[in-house]
Amino acid sequence: MLKIRVGEGTCGRAAGSATVLELLMKQFPNDKITSVGCKGMCHREVIIEVEDSSSNKKYMFGDLTNKNVEQVVKFLKGEGQLPSDLIINSSDESDTTKFRYLSGQKRIALRNVGELTPTSIDQYIERSGYEAIKKIFNKGMSPDDVINEVKDSVIRGRGGAGFPTYLKWQFAKGAPGDTKYLICNGDEGDPGAFMDRSLLEGDPHNVLEGMIIGAYAIGANHGYAYIRAEYPLAVKNFGIAIVDAKEKGFLGENILGSGFSFDIKIKQGAGAFVCGEETALIASIEGQRGMPRLRPPFPAIKGAFGKPTIINNVETLGNIPWIILNGGKEYAKYGTEKSKGTKVFALAGAVKNGGLAEVPMGTSIRDVIEKIGGGSKTGKPLKAVQLGGPSGGCIPESLFDTIIDYDAINATGAIMGSGGMIIMDSSTCMVDLAKYFLEFTQLESCGKCTFCRVGTVRMKEILTRICNGEGKMEDIDTLEDLSSKIKTSSLCGLGQTAPNPVLTTLKYFKEEYLEHIKEKKCRAGKCKALITHTILKDPCVACSLCKSACPVGAITGTPKKLRSFEINHETCINCGMCVEVCRDDAIEVK
Amino acid sequence: MSKSLEANVDESKVLGWIKKIGTEPSASVPLLQEIQSEYGYLPREAMEIVIKNSAITSSQLYGVATFYSQFRLKPIGRHLIKVCHGTACHVRGADRLDTSVEHALGLKKGQDTALDGSYTVEQVACVGCCSLAPVMVVDDKVLGDLTGATAKRALKAHAKENDEKLQN
Repeated sequence: MLKIRVGEGTCGRAAGSATVLELLMKQFPNDKITSVGCKGMCHREVIIEVEDSSSNKKYMFGDLTNKNVEQVVKFLKGEGQLPSDLIINSSDESDTTKFRYLSGQKRIALRNVGELTPTSIDQYIERSGYEAIKKIFNKGMSPDDVINEVKDSVIRGRGGAGFPTYLKWQFAKGAPGDTKYLICNGDEGDPGAFMDRSLLEGDPHNVLEGMIIGAYAIGANHGYAYIRAEYPLAVKNFGIAIVDAKEKGFLGENILGSGFSFDIKIKQGAGAFVCGEETALIASIEGQRGMPRLRPPFPAIKGAFGKPTIINNVETLGNIPWIILNGGKEYAKYGTEKSKGTKVFALAGAVKNGGLAEVPMGTSIRDVIEKIGGGSKTGKPLKAVQLGGPSGGCIPESLFDTIIDYDAINATGAIMGSGGMIIMDSSTCMVDLAKYFLEFTQLESCGKCTFCRVGTVRMKEILTRICNGEGKMEDIDTLEDLSSKIKTSSLCGLGQTAPNPVLTTLKYFKEEYLEHIKEKKCRAGKCKALITHTILKDPCVACSLCKSACPVGAITGTPKKLRSFEINHETCINCGMCVEVCRDDAIEVK
Repeated sequence: MSKSLEANVDESKVLGWIKKIGTEPSASVPLLQEIQSEYGYLPREAMEIVIKNSAITSSQLYGVATFYSQFRLKPIGRHLIKVCHGTACHVRGADRLDTSVEHALGLKKGQDTALDGSYTVEQVACVGCCSLAPVMVVDDKVLGDLTGATAKRALKAHAKENDEKLQN
């Protein structure tokens, strides 16, 4: 009897998991084949895990397609060799150091993701699901007992700001009023982060159980799951989870006969980064433009519809059932003195093993990137990592030994953020990156505060000028001056942190700014106004791939006629499409 | 933009959504989402039906429709291409996908829809598939690990499947 789990998160689906699943079902009609969430190794999708109960062996295969899956089928039927290029890991492999993607991790929030079918409440229950709620009611834990357990765990909000979760709950519990709200913030707007997507898609009941526990602790009877509309699978799976949990009595009126009632509605976010901010998110739930307002009053006192409201991040809530079940002290065993537990990171960019990794706090950034992430994808040297998205900052390679800890990361000028980790190699221009983030924050600024609304536009204009080779030396001073003003004169986190990418790139990569301004040079070959593409006659084999790829017809030459290929610099738009297709490194970017 | 792309709004459908979702101000976002998922954009007529039949004022509804990036006030082509411009996609060459798609559709600067109404292209912030960067989403299918050339190939295949023609 085989047990086969097929990874069907958004990334697995994008890689074609549906056809692989269908094929396996046809080939093994009598075995147990399930569709599960993302195991985190998005770079190897489609991934399947196989448990063979007759031989007691386990295998994990990756990079599957509808074609090569046949090799796996043959092997599992005993008709073929183990396909060595598709095997990721197996129980035969004693040397675990070869496979460090999972061994360097400690999965608490993600403990079920990739293990169970997200839409099956029974599978969640089999894996100790809803045991935390049962424990609370069976043991007669009071809301204060729950809050104290969370206090013992020392968990801080995983959305980025890192506010102690227990303290938030205590405020809301103490706030007067019969109607209170608990909101799950699944508006993961940070471009480059997908932890919450994976958790909502892959283990919705875990987040749901966290919400029920939080609601019980603060005395809320109504809840909202605010999920980005860009995550349709997360919305769907969470919706199914709500219906199933109600049917089993974990949600709704008089939960498990305790007298406590809690109901949840899903609200889909409509694409506004600022709605990650608490008061903006509340405005959005109320049906208004998502604009933040002045605090105090804090949402814990006066939030949604004027009632006490707690907003917790998806990952925070995903840790709660585990904390209640295993004890806060157990959770606090992981991590550093001030940052306890684990943190999920989304690895992307120029890293070999892109995906999700949950590591104990205190792990070094270098270990995450090199041991789990496998280092550079392109072979080019790594240059920096961007943490915390548009609100965060760059940490240069020389500081990769910084440990993952709220304070240690803040000391570099970056922030922990929600967990987006974009790794960059030498082909990333740091000025262009700063421009990219300012373009983003400028677009996403709600417009309420003048410095954020206008200041970010001015910063973007200056950065664009520098990237176009029209920068002046005083631009750097203006950028620094604007940065400090935007930081101090903005109401919410968006404006207060918007200058961070500029400040950190200026701090660690000032020479790149100076090169752009003084020498009109972009060392990464990214800024189009400062580069030219030239075909090198010697390595060029006249294959003509570049000519067919060029969208503007700027390349001339006769196929197979050596040394005949040339780029017309008048028409060339420096898009780089030719470089992408050239197999012989025959195009120079300078 | 050709006139033919504009939707014929079915009043009873809009009234049905209002009945299902609600008439209070907090229903504004879900109502607009429902309208857009049906018509691909927010037809003025549909918004007027909402205003007439709910507690939502025209200033609130229009304010919300123009605040959130999900909402479109102009009709779109028969198929929608979203080119992801999240950070990971940006550093891995999302601009080449733009160039490639614009070229394939024959778009001029400032244009987002092919003249024959086949495809509309838009740049989106992040679709959350960062480890497959650069990514684009054609209708609801996520395509990852693209280059300028493979993006064009994927688009060609999509056009063939859906009986559409590309300019280039």
